[in-house]
Amino acid sequence: MGRRILAVLAVLTLLLVGCSKGAGGSGGGGGGDTDNVLTVGTTYYISSLNPFVGIETQDSTAYSMLYPQLLQYGPGLKLEGDWAESWDESPDGRTITFKLRDGQWSDGTPLTAEDAVWTIETIRKHAEGTTASMAKVLAGVGAAEAPDPRTLVIRYDQPMGPALANLQQMYVLPKHVWASHDTGEDGSGLTDFKPEQQLPVVSGGPFTITKYEDKGTTVFTPNPKFYGPKPHASAVALTYYTNPTAMIADLKAGRLGFVETVPFKDAAQLKSLQGVTIDSQPGNEVTNFGFNSSDAKKQNRELLDPKLREAFEYALPREQIVSTVFGGEAKPWADILSGWSGDWVNPKVQPLPNDVDKANQILDSLGYPRGTDGVRQVPATTGERAQPAHPMRYTVIVPNDTDYDGHLQFTLLQSAFEKVGVQLVEQAGGDGTQAYELITAPDGKYEDADMFTWYWHPYLDPDFNLGVVTTSELNNNSDTGWSNPAYDALYEKQRTTVDVAARRDLVWQAQAEIANARPYIQIVETNLVTASSTGWTGFEPTLFTLGKAYYTSPRRA
Amino acid sequence: MTPALSRIWFAVVTVFVAATINFFLFRVMPGNAVSALRCRACTPQLREALLNRYGLDAPLPEQFLRYLGQLARGDLGISIASGRPVWQEITGPLLNTLPMLIAGTLIALMLGVISGVVSSWRRGTALDSTTQWTSLAFYAMPTQWIGLLVLFYVAAAIGLPAAGIQSASLGVLGEPSLWDLLVDRTAHLILPALTLGLGSYGQYAIIMRSAMLDTLGEDYILTARAKGLRDWEILRYHAFGNALLPMVTMVALSAGSIVAGAIVVEDVFSYPGIGFAAVDAIGKRDYPVLQGIFLLLTVAVVVANLIADLVYVRIDPRIRSGRVAVG
Amino acid sequence: MVASPSGERVVSVPTRRGTALRLITGNRQTVLGLCALGVFALIALLAPVIAPTPVNTGFSNGFSAPTAAHPLGLDGGGFDVLSRLVHGAQTSLLVGTIAALVGMVIGGTIGFVAGYFGGRTDGVLMRITDYFLVIPDIPLMIVAAAVFGQSLTNIMIVIGLVYWASTARLIRAQVMSVRQRTFVKRVEAMGASPLFVLTRHVVPQVTPLLVANTVLMVANAIFAETYISFLGLGDPSVMSWGRMIQDALDQGAVVAGAWWVVLPPGLAVTLVVLAATIAGQGMEDTLNPRLKVGHLAVRRFRVRPLHGAPDRP
Repeated sequence: MGRRILAVLAVLTLLLVGCSKGAGGSGGGGGGDTDNVLTVGTTYYISSLNPFVGIETQDSTAYSMLYPQLLQYGPGLKLEGDWAESWDESPDGRTITFKLRDGQWSDGTPLTAEDAVWTIETIRKHAEGTTASMAKVLAGVGAAEAPDPRTLVIRYDQPMGPALANLQQMYVLPKHVWASHDTGEDGSGLTDFKPEQQLPVVSGGPFTITKYEDKGTTVFTPNPKFYGPKPHASAVALTYYTNPTAMIADLKAGRLGFVETVPFKDAAQLKSLQGVTIDSQPGNEVTNFGFNSSDAKKQNRELLDPKLREAFEYALPREQIVSTVFGGEAKPWADILSGWSGDWVNPKVQPLPNDVDKANQILDSLGYPRGTDGVRQVPATTGERAQPAHPMRYTVIVPNDTDYDGHLQFTLLQSAFEKVGVQLVEQAGGDGTQAYELITAPDGKYEDADMFTWYWHPYLDPDFNLGVVTTSELNNNSDTGWSNPAYDALYEKQRTTVDVAARRDLVWQAQAEIANARPYIQIVETNLVTASSTGWTGFEPTLFTLGKAYYTSPRRA
Repeated sequence: MTPALSRIWFAVVTVFVAATINFFLFRVMPGNAVSALRCRACTPQLREALLNRYGLDAPLPEQFLRYLGQLARGDLGISIASGRPVWQEITGPLLNTLPMLIAGTLIALMLGVISGVVSSWRRGTALDSTTQWTSLAFYAMPTQWIGLLVLFYVAAAIGLPAAGIQSASLGVLGEPSLWDLLVDRTAHLILPALTLGLGSYGQYAIIMRSAMLDTLGEDYILTARAKGLRDWEILRYHAFGNALLPMVTMVALSAGSIVAGAIVVEDVFSYPGIGFAAVDAIGKRDYPVLQGIFLLLTVAVVVANLIADLVYVRIDPRIRSGRVAVG
Repeated sequence: MVASPSGERVVSVPTRRGTALRLITGNRQTVLGLCALGVFALIALLAPVIAPTPVNTGFSNGFSAPTAAHPLGLDGGGFDVLSRLVHGAQTSLLVGTIAALVGMVIGGTIGFVAGYFGGRTDGVLMRITDYFLVIPDIPLMIVAAAVFGQSLTNIMIVIGLVYWASTARLIRAQVMSVRQRTFVKRVEAMGASPLFVLTRHVVPQVTPLLVANTVLMVANAIFAETYISFLGLGDPSVMSWGRMIQDALDQGAVVAGAWWVVLPPGLAVTLVVLAATIAGQGMEDTLNPRLKVGHLAVRRFRVRPLHGAPDRP
């Protein structure tokens, strides 16, 4: 009888193994050359195939492969035309006219400027509600017209400096598929629509999706009707890994053609691996040490003093962080933008050296004597917002959604700040949304938090990240709660300046102001470390979410 | 109430108690439930809408009744992170975990039987002590640590995949054949199942050993030997039979601890099962999903215990009569 | 020896002076286990003194194999593994002990009350206890830890709150059996106050069992703490063995082949859990020398399905 039980259990196991194939659409087109399939490993997952819903990084890659964009970034991070063959800006900067390529959607319907107009008008119609996530790319847009199927005219209410860069982030949706979903309160039908339930997706880009698993493998197969350069690979299979160890294990076993983000500390010893090439270049991630800079802050208000924050920057052990946390795959950094923004980066904004004596000197001069336990004391203040005397003991919120070891970085910060008489305490931040709640607590009033460590992946055009510290971004993208009307005015000015040289001056000025006020102290700019199998070549790692060549250009070596 | 019915009723009430604990945990959290909903860039209107959506604006008793009603319908609520029904989020992972759990239990049983047989057959010798200490040692090791050791030493040596449930390249261009799928899935299953098995075989080893010792001391064994039956046959026909019931019961009773082991094992091996979904939900503080998983696991464990109880009610005459002889 | 209706073993402890001593020394297993625990406790107490280096001082950028200066090498953050191990001992043992004490207090009290007053009180309390016995412990702890935040105190309370049930059952059975002894009934009939009965008769019979059970619970609690820390629910500002195992995975020790980071914390936990287990089992055996291992052994797992020691037949 025991044996019978065992047999039953064994059969049951096999059945279950076979049955649990996970969610997914119909199988892809049969045949095709499996050798020519590019298997990509990533630790970011595609949360939704609906551009009005998805906010994850990996979602943008999917959308850029599925939908035409007026503009995209090409090799060397240059803004170039994707669907647009050419474009023309009027002298007053208020009108842009695009000449579009001839094309079709994957189901044969013609791809025309009408689709673009419909997309723009729908986004604008529900900009306060369901399409809010896409609305920012149309900031300043007044109207859009299609005088003929291959011409698109966009009119702006005021000249917009970042107009073209913003338009790069707009995905043109097929009107004949989406228009019927523009129903319900404020277009709620648009966010309810799940394209993943109707695979293959009707696509206008180089690929369509034939299989979708948010936490598994998503398969992109080429769209023969795409107007642009066809992909070399016969398909791209994107597999999500919950942790990088698993991903590296598969890379080592030869099961992956490309790995999107190699953990920084693994880079060094993976370089000696056979059959694998590690590519490392300056990347688009800037890590920061942020301060609650809001005047609503209740305790430890000495942290609002820019001079004190300057002292803290002298105490920051950037070099040590670079080598210990990032394995050398980063460099000390001080700008809110990353090097990918090219000429927009103000070369005069540089990190302060790690100088413990100088830090101590400044803190001494600010009147914070050391107590008997070595921790500095802040004397009591009077007047409105009076504070009692207290030690310099601060809580640092450390989110867990970073691609580097935030806890390790914190311990380095902690021992470094001990040397200047400041005691830091770690608070677990949870994931991005939870950390944000904690940082802006309570309820977005910016009253409680002291400091946090986090990161940005800055946009290439400076507008977004310069805007993060404006008053209008409070309770939205602003994690520091910093608010300065003079800066707000400067920001608006650069935003509405179309002339590149003039705008650049304003942008540099804005960066200098942020660097002096220090709502953030930027720590490092990390490298982009990717790995690929030696059987493949032609990768463009920097075009992740930025251009279609990211998937179309890799080919068998 | 017959013993069987009373056990079933007990099981039902236990699930109810677990559900109640779930309910109150979520609502007595520090901070308030709204902050738990974690809404980035929430306008007051949006917060109101969210509160309404999750039913958190009603008075507590009403919330509780609504919660029970939902549970009765099998509605486990909506995931905070993805906005989808919790059921949807956990069904797939659950199906992924089951084969691994079964395989792990089978491995544990096998190891337990071997260990128990060896140590009882050579009772009193160094082999006996070593075997017992080994099984106890593995039982005392944190399961995630065993997983790390397996990753470290076994994975590379044997060449088995160290992570995930399926190879990335499988099924990219068209559906894979059932055979390919089975082979691939099984290959990914082995290491996590091995880890689970190693961590839990200790309890089976003890049962096997004591059942064996009991049997081997019985008179009819002497008779069997006198009749000329070989040792192996004695084992098979008598000792195994004796051990079978306690072993099977033990499988049911250890459902609770193997479930805990599965959670960390899936984390170590990135195996996308229910344990992994739990870890993910923890990281995101996705309480509805976390509590849905907890409830599901509780139901599974309760059912397993119920089966064990019912089996015991049937076979143990003392309990069946509802009384225990003093002695 | 009496079997209670639910089948737990109940022991008869002769009330002699020196029971405590006998409990500790009467069994080789117990002595071995307690000695090992004592060593670990000593290490934990002296941690700040004997750790070779401070916990958060980095010596390199990453993994570094053991050398004379750093006998267990350096981990991914450049920290000395031996120091972390020693400091971790403090946390793990502290959590284990206090959580076990919390469980002992709660479980002991409930068991006492149920056993002493009997009747409906007993019925209700034992029903509640049974629910907690069946509900899977670690998942409940995980949910509770996720909800109540990551401080050391909360973790200790959460563990204790989940593990009290088996102690309650055990103590209740013991209390009941003592009360039903003839000589106790006689003493009560003679008019002795309940307090007298309690202190002179019930407590001495129950305490040794409580102690043995608490030692076993320490093992459980340390085991549970490693789970909780591993899942990232532990207190981020303290070092614990569970945290070290988590760091080993997170820092890529496996990829880097850094065995000196992977082996020590797990070995430490295993040794302490083993020591506590055999000490506790040994104590139980001392209290009950004629225990036969049979089907009731399986029943025992119902009381605490996490432990079993090699039984001496």
